[in-house]
Amino acid sequence: MNATSLAIPSFTSDLRAFWAVVRREWVIFVRYPSWIISLLIWPILFPMGYLLTARALSGVDGSGLTNFQNTTGLTEYVGYIAVGTMIWMWQNIVLWSVGYSLRNEQMRGTLESNWLSPTWRFSYLLGSSVPQMVSMITLLIVSGLEYALLFGVKFNGSLLLTMLVILASIPAVYGLGFAFASVVITMKEANAFVFLVRGIVMVFCGITYPMAMLPGWMQSVGEWLPQTYIIHAMRSAALSTDGFAGISHDLAMILIHGAAWLLIGYVMFVFMERRARQTGAIGQY
Amino acid sequence: MSDLAIEAKGLVKKFPARAGTGDKQPTSPTSMPENKKKRWQFWKKEPQATFTAVDGVDLQIKRGEIFGLLGPNGAGKSTTIRMLCTLLEPTSGTATVNGFDIVKQANEVRRSLGTVLAGERSIYWKLSGRENLEYFAALYHIPAAVAKKRVEELIERMEIKDRANELVEKYSTGMRQRIAIAKALLARPPILLLDEPTLGLDPQAARNLRELIATLKAEGHTILLTTHYMEEADQLSDRIGIIDTGKVIALDTPEKLKAQIDQQEIIKLEVTGWQEYIGEKLRSISEVGSLVARQQGEADLWEVNLQSNNSRAVLPKIVEHIGQNGTRLVNMNIVKPSLEDVFIQLTGKALRD
Ligand SMILES: Nc1ncnc2c1ncn2[C@@H]1O[C@H](COP(=O)(O)OP(=O)(O)O)[C@@H](O)[C@H]1O
Ligand SMILES: [Mg+2]
Repeated sequence: MNATSLAIPSFTSDLRAFWAVVRREWVIFVRYPSWIISLLIWPILFPMGYLLTARALSGVDGSGLTNFQNTTGLTEYVGYIAVGTMIWMWQNIVLWSVGYSLRNEQMRGTLESNWLSPTWRFSYLLGSSVPQMVSMITLLIVSGLEYALLFGVKFNGSLLLTMLVILASIPAVYGLGFAFASVVITMKEANAFVFLVRGIVMVFCGITYPMAMLPGWMQSVGEWLPQTYIIHAMRSAALSTDGFAGISHDLAMILIHGAAWLLIGYVMFVFMERRARQTGAIGQY
Repeated sequence: MSDLAIEAKGLVKKFPARAGTGDKQPTSPTSMPENKKKRWQFWKKEPQATFTAVDGVDLQIKRGEIFGLLGPNGAGKSTTIRMLCTLLEPTSGTATVNGFDIVKQANEVRRSLGTVLAGERSIYWKLSGRENLEYFAALYHIPAAVAKKRVEELIERMEIKDRANELVEKYSTGMRQRIAIAKALLARPPILLLDEPTLGLDPQAARNLRELIATLKAEGHTILLTTHYMEEADQLSDRIGIIDTGKVIALDTPEKLKAQIDQQEIIKLEVTGWQEYIGEKLRSISEVGSLVARQQGEADLWEVNLQSNNSRAVLPKIVEHIGQNGTRLVNMNIVKPSLEDVFIQLTGKALRD
């Protein structure tokens, strides 16, 4: 007697495998809900230092704001800083969670047992990002509410356009995360890279100040980073009344960068996966 | 369809040598390309030192048999398995699994295999046993309705029914290992690769698992298992490959392997106050083939395993050499050769210390 296989590979079975990864990650995610606290605390805590500095400089009555208004066209400096730091925080969390998702599985020992199956190996990275994405969009919404309620930020813009910017940003933000995941798994000292990237984003993308404040060469560097456009577009969409015209250019740039980063993320993954098969670096835990 | 489940030809795996880790004995076959002078172009990569973990392994595993790969720690067993299950690419050589090439048809190979590596760590501890199996069933492309039945069937079979909804982190090692094996069986693959399946299990759990492996064979699975327990290999395997420093140094049925040294007699001594120089003296006796001494736990009690083709002639000499300088003979037996003795004869060292 010979054993007959129960597997029936097809396009739908591939989708089901992907969905199984999403569900697995989601179940683990809600089973250990310590993240709820950070979800509520971080959006308030993180921009606080910048906000207080800004308030000190502008004067409590806002008399020092004319300069800010001249360069940005906005008076809502709290919202301005909040949006910048939110995007920075989003990217930062993606680097730590998506970027470390493969490494964590490697340390647990489940990476190899996933890779033993005939499922496309990129699905694990893709699938485990979905619950992360859901939680991050929740984080952005919760933060917006907190700023409105606690700091009295007036979001004069459009909710619809804001959501559009968030959705358009996903490929860029997560593509960078995917690229990272592959770096992290092949390198021992990957933390340094995370700090480097988020430092670069912090300085070059104008998370708390207009890009015009930067020296020319730094502005040029910023133009190569999608976060620059994301922050700019989000501010326009959420705070100004410029409508779609105010974000159309940024939106195009965000999508172009997004496509590039998704590709870079995928290519780096393929490269890493190949290297792992050759050097055995994946199984060494 | 070929009647070979697994065929490997000259499989070699070299790893980049890891600098500074003390896990390589000096005798390890570390090779440096000649002429490794420091060049002035320091940014160019030095020709990299490599470590050969698997060194030209040939295997022909027939459908329906249990093949045991027996060897000490670091012999290259896991590396061989990792190549066969497509986690590693061979440096050179080829292999087919279920007729599929392990490099060019990796996905077909994955579909043909159920693999258990690092047993309890290969499943999600933060999921329940049932959730684990449902998850992996989807990864192996089993249709939902079929998967549901199959998962229940395996939960029943592995005797975890009343705890299937508990998180794996609450399970015992033996239960986790059973989930890992159930996971490998999900798609009912024709070939199973089991890497040290009983490692870390208590004797009872290990015995149950060995029974299960024998049943799986009876159900038609081909099984390649690795172990460094010679009793396990002896008891389960139809054929055994003995592997050491990356090379298969003997391959046959357990009976024939043991028959190879049948003309040899195995003398087992228990000795207190053992001194290495006594070993040297005993080895120099012409009728003594090989000799391995190892300490029994913490106590000053040594087990000395000696192969000889003429124990009558050897015994008086042994007694004479040992009764000196506080060394005492406590016990002595002449035993039938085991697979371990085969290993000792082939390599001059013990399978495990
Ligand atoms: N990814 C790796 N990189 C470098 N050396 C490795 C790697 N994997 C295994 N080795 C080395 O190869 C040798 C064989 O290992 P392994 O196949 O795990 O042996 P076994 O399973 O028989 O105990 C060991 O010396 C081990 O340290
Ligand atoms: Mg091993």
